[in-house]
Amino acid sequence: MALDTKYTNWQVAGLVALRVLIGWHFLYEGIAKLMKPGWTAAGYLLQSKWLFSGLFHAMAANEAVMDAVNFLNIWGLIFIGLGLIVGAFTRAASLAGMALILLYYVCNPPLVGLYYTIPSEGNYLIVNKNIVELAALFVLFLFPTGKILGMDRLISRLLNRIRS
Amino acid sequence: MSKGKNDKGKSEKKPADGTTMDRRDFLQGMATVPVLGVFGAALAGKIITDKRSESAAVRKTTAGDISDLNIALLGAGAEGQVLMNACLKIPGIRFKAVCDIWTDYNQLRAVRILQKYKHDVTGYEDYREMLDKEKDLDAVLIATPDFWHAEQTIACLEAGLDVYCEKEMSNTLEGAARMVEAARRTGKLLQIGHQRRSNPRYIHCYEKLIKEAGLLGRITSANGQWNRSVQPDLGWPARYAIDPAVLKKYGYASMHQFRNWRWYRGLGGGPIVDLGSHQIDIFNWFLETPPSAVMASGGTDYYDRATHEWYDTVLALFEYETDQGMVRASYQTLTTNSSEGYFENFLGDQGTLNISESANRGGVYREPSAPPWDQWVTQGLLSKPVPSLPVDTAGAVLDVRETVSPDKHEIPVTFTDPYHQPHLENFFNAVRGTGTLNCPPDIGYETAVTVLKVNDAVEAARRLRYGKDEFRIQ
Repeated sequence: MALDTKYTNWQVAGLVALRVLIGWHFLYEGIAKLMKPGWTAAGYLLQSKWLFSGLFHAMAANEAVMDAVNFLNIWGLIFIGLGLIVGAFTRAASLAGMALILLYYVCNPPLVGLYYTIPSEGNYLIVNKNIVELAALFVLFLFPTGKILGMDRLISRLLNRIRS
Repeated sequence: MSKGKNDKGKSEKKPADGTTMDRRDFLQGMATVPVLGVFGAALAGKIITDKRSESAAVRKTTAGDISDLNIALLGAGAEGQVLMNACLKIPGIRFKAVCDIWTDYNQLRAVRILQKYKHDVTGYEDYREMLDKEKDLDAVLIATPDFWHAEQTIACLEAGLDVYCEKEMSNTLEGAARMVEAARRTGKLLQIGHQRRSNPRYIHCYEKLIKEAGLLGRITSANGQWNRSVQPDLGWPARYAIDPAVLKKYGYASMHQFRNWRWYRGLGGGPIVDLGSHQIDIFNWFLETPPSAVMASGGTDYYDRATHEWYDTVLALFEYETDQGMVRASYQTLTTNSSEGYFENFLGDQGTLNISESANRGGVYREPSAPPWDQWVTQGLLSKPVPSLPVDTAGAVLDVRETVSPDKHEIPVTFTDPYHQPHLENFFNAVRGTGTLNCPPDIGYETAVTVLKVNDAVEAARRLRYGKDEFRIQ
């Protein structure tokens, strides 16, 4: 990871700000769901259109699968959020976050010819904020900052110490 | 990207293996952790503000004394959880027990949610054990399948508890009658879960629009429907299947029957009872009398008859002999198509009232020949009129045979709480002695008589009359 020593201070500030903001968003999305008793993603999945709608509908119809999906979604969001904020396992968190968002995107993509009744707060043509956040996470994955300003700095030193 | 300012001047101090940590490493490593503090503060602020606004909203609707009530939930399935979630928004309600025979699943889920809300709650499989052990209960909410209602309600009333029992009151008239008698005998409260009776929008429509302002004129007709899309049978995770012996003990032949009891004779009453009874109850309420006759056509036309013993499709016609004259009403439940969802319509010679429990849907339409409604708008009973047709079609040339389309007025009462919350609040207020029940057992019984006869009419395939004394327990 040669990159982590080559940013300017402003580049570090920008990347860390992006990391913390996305982390905050993930963390609160997870906690908000956790705090709603009986929250379930079933309604969202049932609205699914496009190629994978059959899979998402089948998931929504099975209570055991939904229990697992809800658990993974909520705690995935929370741990990815925490990781991004404190800069721990930053690259893993970025990848996991991309995977999660990709699922949201393919579940309900704003493609031409697909119309949704879920209210959305903006207007989207193919590109929505999910895919923008996914791209931002890809940037964070390519330009990691956890070892500059983040707990990855401490974690890597500890790992190195154990290894040596 | 080539300046490497961040590590400037440090590299020479540190060994190349990167195993040591100095103070600067620690500060940089922990640099963004304080964000969690800001997040925590923001989250705490949000939780406190949300709680305050929720309790302010609740205070508006709760009168006087809010001493704590200890309650138990019998039946923690879909409906039981709806009641539980609504209760969690009502101050002064403490859950002490949850009873459900699906101990590893529904019961466990409900107990976990309640524990999250700091309720000291115990789970039971058998309600009789619960009644033996829980000695400080004030009231019980019953949301079990219909065929359990009579036995459980009577046992709870006799144990000295006030009871909120979901509709349908019972799957048999004999059971419903015994519930009325038990409530009278014990002097305890029994509220039946026709929750529209406490919905502020419905109360406004009945008391203000129909009674006070007489906006509809002479009501001549009513219609209503609940149309739903095709739904697969309810399943269950295989590893959570209930032991067949336990199922048998509680009256179920199989796990499929336990999950889909609404479709089975002897257990439920089918969609006309599950859905229709809510809305036919509104016919009885707004028309101020139960009907005098019913005809109905229905059958299991779409689903497998072996597992759908009750009718998936029912169309019913009622005759209401009201003080103003005859009102003919139609009602349908479809389980194969969701067109127009669910609503009730009341049609009079001066106006039409359309109302639904669903998401503030509804409106009042003035017949062009009716006297003006401006005074009622001024008094706040109605919103200002809006064209009932979209502007671009309203411009079309009217055929001389058509009447001009009526103006639409909104019902100026919005309601955003869970649907069951005001009916539960009404019950708890009555338990505390600060209110009277909106749906006491006599009303629940009247509706049960009205609705259960629809299934009889389908079977008989002819017009059935209701006896005048059929609706009352002497």
